[in-house]
Parts: sequence; structure tokens; C-alpha cells
Amino acid sequence: MPPIIQITNLTKKFGNIMAVDHLNLEVEDGEILGLLGPNGAGKTTTILMLVTVIRPTEGTATVGGYDIRKNPDKVRELIGVVFQEPKMLWVSTTWDIVNWHAKVCGLPNEERKRRVRQVLEDLDMWEHRRKNVHALSGGMRKRVELAKVLVQRPKIAIIDEPTAQVDVVGKHRIWNMICRLRDEGSTIILATNELYEADILSDRVAIMHKGKLLVCDTPKTLKDSIIGGDIVEIQLENDASTAIIGDLKNFKEVVNVLQIKPTLLRLYLNKVEEVVPKIMNMLLKKNVPVTSIHMSEPSLDDVFAHYTGLTIEEAQKVGV
Amino acid sequence: MLVAERDVRLFFQYKFLIIIRAIWFVSQIVLFGLIASRMINVQEVPDYFRYYVSGLSIMTLYSAAIFIGFDIYEEAEHGVFEYLLSLPVSRRQLVLGRSIGGGLRAFIYVGPLIAASLYVIGAVNPLNFLAALFSLFLFSFGVSGMSITIAVMIKSIDRFDILMGVLDALIVRLSTAMYPLNVVQTANPIYGGIANFNPVSYAADLFRWGTGLPDIITLDNPLLPLVGIIAFFAIFTFIGITIYDRRIEGGGWQ
Repeated sequence: MPPIIQITNLTKKFGNIMAVDHLNLEVEDGEILGLLGPNGAGKTTTILMLVTVIRPTEGTATVGGYDIRKNPDKVRELIGVVFQEPKMLWVSTTWDIVNWHAKVCGLPNEERKRRVRQVLEDLDMWEHRRKNVHALSGGMRKRVELAKVLVQRPKIAIIDEPTAQVDVVGKHRIWNMICRLRDEGSTIILATNELYEADILSDRVAIMHKGKLLVCDTPKTLKDSIIGGDIVEIQLENDASTAIIGDLKNFKEVVNVLQIKPTLLRLYLNKVEEVVPKIMNMLLKKNVPVTSIHMSEPSLDDVFAHYTGLTIEEAQKVGV
Repeated sequence: MLVAERDVRLFFQYKFLIIIRAIWFVSQIVLFGLIASRMINVQEVPDYFRYYVSGLSIMTLYSAAIFIGFDIYEEAEHGVFEYLLSLPVSRRQLVLGRSIGGGLRAFIYVGPLIAASLYVIGAVNPLNFLAALFSLFLFSFGVSGMSITIAVMIKSIDRFDILMGVLDALIVRLSTAMYPLNVVQTANPIYGGIANFNPVSYAADLFRWGTGLPDIITLDNPLLPLVGIIAFFAIFTFIGITIYDRRIEGGGWQ
């Protein structure tokens, strides 16, 4: 099955600034693709080009088989966008905004009213439907912005930082609704700089930095790609012998073993979930009692740092 | 039509602006119109008060239709522009919808004021008036298209504001909205030439023709101003679509 979005050498320059630099990426039908990167990585510019709001300087993309340069009208029929900053005039009410969006997207009268009510209730915004948006908090406005796409149920939903300014309870509600949207048949591009959000929602994650795509794969594969990225700390009952340390180093997945204390070993390894049972079996056979074991796998931040030398937080601070 | 509907609904959210403009309109009639008409006693205008009230309706329609240009800046500032451009609507539909919406809302807004004018002016020939009303529709859409065209060409709202002020001074003051063509021509033949080819003059003349003030219209044949208004509407709608397409597509407004 051909990818629903095929991005080829997509480039956008603003003066001398290369906002997006020869981006090549494919998005499969029905997946959630996380577009991860710090502010200024080029995520929003990529999105604006995909939805035909701005024109690429170079390269192109096909969306649902339509070229964004040649058939922008057809492309827009397939896409719904949740913008990073809620796009609404302050005098409008929640109901007006969502209902009008549904009308423009061609929803029949009864279905439109049903869906608007359903989505606003799900987002806990029904009681605020008659309020002007200037009376809403930042998080509520973000929910109104999201409501437009949830009502639309587009073939492709592009969601730019959906949970910025949203409280923890609201975040979980929004994540569930994004997953439901995918389950109903939408392909989703989720642009975010929140690592946890990208990790738990995305089928694949594309990491962008300085307008370039660094890497794209499943979160698990990305984490596993960091050599020795998993960390296991084993607390032994007795001091660890040199022989035991040597045996641990013999596992091909183990990259390094440090003796933190006489009874505490720290192992840097890959594929933690596969190798830890083997290690435990070995220690059991050699009659080495274990008091406790603590495992941690690398985060997407570690993946980002692996490719850029900076954490996402550091990259945001230096504005690159 | 949904784009037009949105613009109409949004306009009527600005209640303060609407009330202030209505107060301005009434004040112009009951203060300026009544007082100034006592000073004017020329052969060309037997009743300047009625002449002024009909012209004022056109001037108000013009300024209300211009307002859509300010909306463009407001939307650019709040990022709504990007949202509108991402919708499953072609750019042509979008600009046409906005042009119609801008004109329609101005017309709806001026409707009660026109009714007040009719009450003041008096006699009405219903058929003539309907024809005049239709041409005012087109005039309103044309002005709205002109405002959109200028707004997307000029990125600064301050410059737009100043330019619209200058345009207002030139187009409205050099028209027959406030004084008959003969008087303008006598003052300066160049002024008269401009007033003769001015959509505001056409609209004012048609409105007076429709409301039964034929003794003070500029042109003998109402078909000429009607054709002029249709041309004005067609040109600015077409230019609006073209400029909007070129300037906006590709992020030109940023």
C-alpha cells in the first residue's frame, strides 16, 4: 500500500533562514506519526506546507495521491488541522467556531449538530459553548481548536502540540480522543515537543532538528538504536567477584559494566527486556543472590541527544 | 456562501461599532443635514436636505463595506488567516465569499438606515427602488472587493488605515454623494471629470433615481450608472481574486 503522505525534498526558506531543509518522509495510512523536535525545528512550517497554507521553496509532497503544489484544493479536502496557537477571533463563541468549521467541511445538518455536541461534551466544553473565546482559558481555547478536527474526522489529521497549556487530566482526555480518531480511520501527524506524548501516542516518531529530519522509526527501535542505552542496576547480597563481572560482560547485549559499590553493579546494555531474564538465570545458576534490580530504558530525549548532542530542553533554550 | 455567512455573523458581533456608527448616521441627519441644508439654496438642488440624506446613505454603505479590509488584518494578527487558508475551500471561493460577505453585511447594516432615509425622503417608486437596491448590492460587493484587494497588497494596518482615509476623501468627496455634478464641474472641471466616473456617484445617482429624486440626479439615463456599478463590482472582484491568490498563496501575507 503506498504511503498516504510522501514528502520529497520539501524545503522552505524565509530569507536566509532554512526553516525546512530537504525533508524526505513517508506517512503510512492509519498510523500516528509523531513529529518531534524543539521549537524552531521546522515542524510547524512543514505542517503549513502540507496543508497548502504556505508554498514550498523547493521539493513537494503528495497527500492522498495529490501533489500539494498542483492540487492544493484536493489536498485540503483530505486534511484537518489543529494549529499550535488556537486560530479564532475573540468575539466568536465556542459553538460558532466548531459548528461553522463542521459546516465548511460539509457535514449534513443533523449529523453536524450531533457531532458538535458529542465532541464538546467529550472535551468538557459543552457548558462553555455560548462563551466568547476571550472568556476562555488558554487550555480551553486549545480544546476548542482540537474540537474542530474531532468533529471533522478528516482522512488526515495534523495536530500541532495538542496539549500545550492543557492540565494533566485534560491531556489524558485529549490523548484518548486522538487515539479514538485514529481508530475511526484517520491518519494522524502529531507535532510535539513533549517526549512522553510522542512516545505513548506515536506508532513512529520522526525527529526534526534545524529543519532536517534526523531519524524516523518506532519509539522502541529508536531507543534500541542507542548502543548501551538501557541501564540496569543490580544490587547483590554479597560483593561482586571479578568472575561475575566478566560473565556479565560476556553477554553480547551488554556494552559496559560498572561496579558502583562492592555490591552494586550498573550495566549499560541493549534490549533490556530480552537480556535481563538471561542475566538473572545466569546469576541464579552461579548462586549469586540478588537483593534488588532496577531497570531504565532510554527516553526519546536520549535519542534526540544521541543525534544532536543536546537534550530537547537544551535545544529549546539555545533556540536551535 | 458559508464564508459570506461567517463574515456577516462576525460583523454583528462588533455591537459597539454598530451602535456608534448608527448614532453617527442619525446625528449627521438631524444635526448636520438639517442645519447645513438651511445654508444651501441653489437652483440645482431645490431641497438639499433630501439630497444630503440620500448621499449620506451611500457614504455609510461605502464605509461599512470598507470594514472587511480591517478584518483581514485582525485575522492575520490572530492567525485566523492560516486557518481559513487550510479549509477545504478554493481560494476563489474564499475571496468571492469574503467579498460577498463584506458587501452583504454592509448592506444589512445600512438597511435600517436606508429605511430611515426613505422615511425622510418621502416618495418611492417600488420598481425603481428595487432596481436601485440591486445596484447598491453590487456597489457594496465592489467596495468590499476593493478593500480586500488593498488589504492583501498592503501589509501594514496603519498604512491601510491612512490609504483608506485618503481614498475616502478622494472617492467620496469627488462624487455626487454630497453635491450635484454641475456644482462640482463649476468648481473645477477636473473634479467634475472624476465625479463623472466614480462608483460612489453612480450609486448615489441610482439611489436617488430609485427613491424618486430624479430632478437632482446627474445622469439622464439610469442605465449608465448601473453599467458603471456592474463594471466596478466585476473588476474589483476579479482583481481581488487574482491578487488574493498571488499574495496569499505561499504565505505572502506573513
